[in-house]
Amino acid sequence: MDNSGKEKEAMALVAEAEKKMKSSQSFFGAMFGGSSKTEEACDMYVRAANMYKMAKNWCGKNNTEKNDAMNVPLLGQFTFVLRNNFFLSAAGNAFSQAAHLHLQMQSKHDAATNFIDAGNAFKKADPQEAINCLNRAIEIYTDMGRFTIAAKHHITIAEIYETEMVDIEKAIAHYEQAADYYKGEESTSSANKCLLKVATYAAQLEQYPKAIEIYEQVGTYAMDSTLLKYSAKDHFFKAALCHFSVDMLNAKLAVQKYEEMFPAFSDSRECKLLKKLLDAYEEQNVEAYTDSVKEFDTISRLDQWLTTMLLRIKKTIQEDESDLR
Amino acid sequence: MSSDFEAYEQDFGTLTAEVTNKIGRIPKLSGEEKTQLVLNVDKQLEEVRELLEQMDLEAREIPIQSRAMYNSRLKSYKQEVEKLEKDFVSTTPPRTLVNGHADVPNEERAHLLDNTEKLERSSRRLEAGYQIAVETEQVGQEILSNLNSDREKIQRARERLRETDANLGKSSRILTGMLRR
Repeated sequence: MDNSGKEKEAMALVAEAEKKMKSSQSFFGAMFGGSSKTEEACDMYVRAANMYKMAKNWCGKNNTEKNDAMNVPLLGQFTFVLRNNFFLSAAGNAFSQAAHLHLQMQSKHDAATNFIDAGNAFKKADPQEAINCLNRAIEIYTDMGRFTIAAKHHITIAEIYETEMVDIEKAIAHYEQAADYYKGEESTSSANKCLLKVATYAAQLEQYPKAIEIYEQVGTYAMDSTLLKYSAKDHFFKAALCHFSVDMLNAKLAVQKYEEMFPAFSDSRECKLLKKLLDAYEEQNVEAYTDSVKEFDTISRLDQWLTTMLLRIKKTIQEDESDLR
Repeated sequence: MSSDFEAYEQDFGTLTAEVTNKIGRIPKLSGEEKTQLVLNVDKQLEEVRELLEQMDLEAREIPIQSRAMYNSRLKSYKQEVEKLEKDFVSTTPPRTLVNGHADVPNEERAHLLDNTEKLERSSRRLEAGYQIAVETEQVGQEILSNLNSDREKIQRARERLRETDANLGKSSRILTGMLRR
């Protein structure tokens, strides 16, 4: 198909661009057409990178066809993955080259955009490289004072840490940074979105005070807004659960506090569930606890996070029971 | 996965309908046909129980999020089957004891059982409706928070637009000034 042609074109473009750069570094080039040469070289790098990206799609189709014919599917898939990653890394490399050139030419905006493109291309092939590119782009943006877009990319990095590299601590750090930038730019709703993610992960890692603070903050903010008040009860419920994992008395006080602040909270089924759980905990009755949880589950299913928290609390009940015995 | 489950549900529905039908007919017949029907119903109850087991296995393979719905459905089906078995058991012994008498209480029984079944069906429907309402509320919450964040984005974009507009106006004034000089 087209792809081998595109590959060759792309490689040819990269070679040409490198030649242009070298020539621009020579005495003459620097004197006269230095800047235009680097601009052209930049353009060529970008075009080459786009062609590598295109080549990835065609490459996949071509490879599988050939390999079916050759009847070596497993090996073919392996080479397909390798070639894929190679092409995407090639695209990423081309984009980062273009970005470096832009930096030399002092056009920060363009450099940053190219770093972002590089980051996206690397996302599929090499997450670490992607994070490096994105970090550099964020530096440039914060230098220029564009905090919103920097925050957006912090979120992208945090997502990569969540999914591909599974480093929850760093993901939390990035989400927090993004939330701070958003707060600085007065976009409280985006800030709240990031903060909620921070709180979920913090609670998973048992950093309860942080999670509690965030949930209460978001809950109080939500109470006042007409649009958000229906989600406020959800936030208070999660905050109360975190209190519960720490200490039961805390939870009781917290539930009372929330009821005072937000009368609608007491009508919600979540509040009723909380009260039942508190009672079951006081009586050290695991059965009642499990029953009320199951009952709640039949009506509205509990997600992963909630089940983990409830299980933790249940374990503390069982431990207390065995302690008493 | 869930399509298997739904196929099982349909089979379950048809089988239970047949069983209820036959259980209803048993009291009115006697002798040869009755024993035949009894055997038939027995076989079908076996099939129904097997179906339930299959559905249970299917439900276990479904991811946790959707599992609760299927679990509650399974529970209601099990209850239905238990009721049918109770009916079945209740129809056969009385017949073997007393022949003519048992007709009337059996008819009343059938009527009452019918009513209880209708009530159970309606309560199940109500519960399902309640579940859907709760899910709708959750979806609504998400939509509202999305709307909120979109609102902020639009406001910011509008501000920036106004700023850019002012800047453009200034620059065009400067340029016309430059032209004149």
